Amino acid sequence: MTTDLAPPTGPYGAAAASRRPSLARAEVRRITSRRFVRVLLLVALAGYALFVGIAAATEFGRTTPDQVAAAEGRLDEAVAQQERARQLCLADPGRPRDVPPEQVCGPETPAGAFRVSDFLDRQPFVLADQLPDGAAGAAGVTAVLAFLLGATYVGAEWSSRAMVALLFWEPRRVRVMAVKLGVLVAGAALLAVVAQLLWWGTAAVMASRLGTTGPLPSGFYPDLLGRQGRAVVLTVLTSLLGFGLSNLVRNTGAALGVGFLWLAFVENVVRSLRPSWQQWLLSDNAAALMSDGAYRIQLPDSGGGRGRELALSNLHGGLVLGGVAAVIVGVGVLLFARRDLH
Amino acid sequence: MTLRTGVWHGAGTATYGAHMTVIEVAGAHKSYRRRGKAPEKALDGLDLVVATGGVHGFLGPNGSGKTTTIRILLGLVRADAGELRLLGQPVPQALPQVIGGVGALVETPLFFPAFSGRLNLRLLADTAGVTATRVEECLELVGLRDRADDRFRGYSLGMKQRLGIAAALLKSPRLLVLDEPSNGLDPAGIREVRELVRRLGSDGSTTVFLSSHLLAEIEQVRDAVSILARGRCVATGPVSQVLAGGAAGDLRVRVPDQRRAAHALTAAGFTVSEVDGALQVHGADDPADVVRALVAQDLYLTELSPVTADLESVFLDLTRQQP
Repeated sequence: MTTDLAPPTGPYGAAAASRRPSLARAEVRRITSRRFVRVLLLVALAGYALFVGIAAATEFGRTTPDQVAAAEGRLDEAVAQQERARQLCLADPGRPRDVPPEQVCGPETPAGAFRVSDFLDRQPFVLADQLPDGAAGAAGVTAVLAFLLGATYVGAEWSSRAMVALLFWEPRRVRVMAVKLGVLVAGAALLAVVAQLLWWGTAAVMASRLGTTGPLPSGFYPDLLGRQGRAVVLTVLTSLLGFGLSNLVRNTGAALGVGFLWLAFVENVVRSLRPSWQQWLLSDNAAALMSDGAYRIQLPDSGGGRGRELALSNLHGGLVLGGVAAVIVGVGVLLFARRDLH
Repeated sequence: MTLRTGVWHGAGTATYGAHMTVIEVAGAHKSYRRRGKAPEKALDGLDLVVATGGVHGFLGPNGSGKTTTIRILLGLVRADAGELRLLGQPVPQALPQVIGGVGALVETPLFFPAFSGRLNLRLLADTAGVTATRVEECLELVGLRDRADDRFRGYSLGMKQRLGIAAALLKSPRLLVLDEPSNGLDPAGIREVRELVRRLGSDGSTTVFLSSHLLAEIEQVRDAVSILARGRCVATGPVSQVLAGGAAGDLRVRVPDQRRAAHALTAAGFTVSEVDGALQVHGADDPADVVRALVAQDLYLTELSPVTADLESVFLDLTRQQP
């Protein structure tokens, strides 16, 4: 030490605090000061910009009437070629007579089987199609980011043991956890909202420059807002899953490992061994939460028949994810509240 | 040697005479469960009273229960049994009400390694509503202001410890709990912490509860001391009283034939050891008994003097005696 140490001059105890104590302010400062959090968000933003740039440069573009006419010509040719092949098949004398011809040669090519856009080198960016699809994609990205943020937020506190030091300042453990969870939920919701707004703005610009902003089908905006609202819910729930898992195992790396193992291995094993249990799997319920209408799972029939279909609603997806998150977070908080800390 | 536990709590009250207390522990028990093994007893009926003001040394060998006691007082660990009070309030129940007056450094400082020293303190300051000015004061106080923007992970052990002390001082606490605060400090740092502890203890507003296994650290700054062994307080009180108790009955004896003298004294029922070329007779209530035993064997004294115990010998005696 290089300086003389002198005792603090009063006031003492509570009188020394002249600002309003705020655990929430400390938590916001803590999470926003984390380099990992900043780098993660910057990398995500850079990845987004790159993705949009590549898509704008290679996938989308306004088309001239000549290009559309040429694409329509290629579409007609493809339909005609498919029909010629079907007729040849039907005329084939070697075709098995005891099997219906549709099963051997296929059905007649229906109108609308192909889209003109499939025959264009660069498709116009159609707001009515791309905006909702992109909103679901953004939800997936923010869900993964939120899981990482939730896991690292509390995991770093355990690995540095700053969680214990915090209790010298706020000994009410449940309150400490509640504030952390509140900050995480608000942060995850903010992340999802910003991502959805960013995508909305990007899509509007791309549609006006590389495609078309209209016409929009009826009920477009309510459907879009519903999907974006569910994106926020999904992001918040995955952040809670990451937080809860990391709080249970008290290590970010272990939490991420468990999460990866679950999604990449356990869920696939369950799908193959117990297909009917898919309705309880996290990834299926995340898809159900984000799907337009019911999310359908085709279950094989054990007798070799056509099997049956399971339809999972948005509500089902939300409730299952929410229930799992509540259990994981709840058990972690309970253990934190009761256990001795060293 | 027999030192009664709790020199100062003969009356069994929650005060030291006219003094109010900052820490009171009565009959605290704590065992840690261990998988596949018998539970480990950390506290075994601990009684402890720390009066307001000054520096109270909390001394004990490693594993004697010092840190467990502090953790229980700060609400990190639950006692299996016993009553505890901090700043006059029962804990852990009233801990949220009293924690604002308690600063603590328990073992190693716990901070975010990637954050700067200043940011780590500001996070804690936000939690308690302490001003940024106070953060700077505390950084200045421990000599870290110039390095405050460096990352905590880059600090030396001593700097980390000093930041921990700065954090403990942020609240300008009425009770400052320091658990092994000299860990990792160089000799100059140890001396300065000792000075700080001394000054804090004499400012009339702060009570410093200084836990250490380093006798020298405690000996130079303490006003009172409690000695722990195997989860029990084996001596407590003002240092002068503890030392007097530790020396009670010990005599230094020199005679021309020390071997014969040792036999004679042992035969007379005394416990004798050889220290620095002289015989040390333990537990002699009356020096005349020693003289009588030696003269009966035609052994004549060249020296007979009472032994003044230092804290180290008291500490070693007390902690060795425990079953």
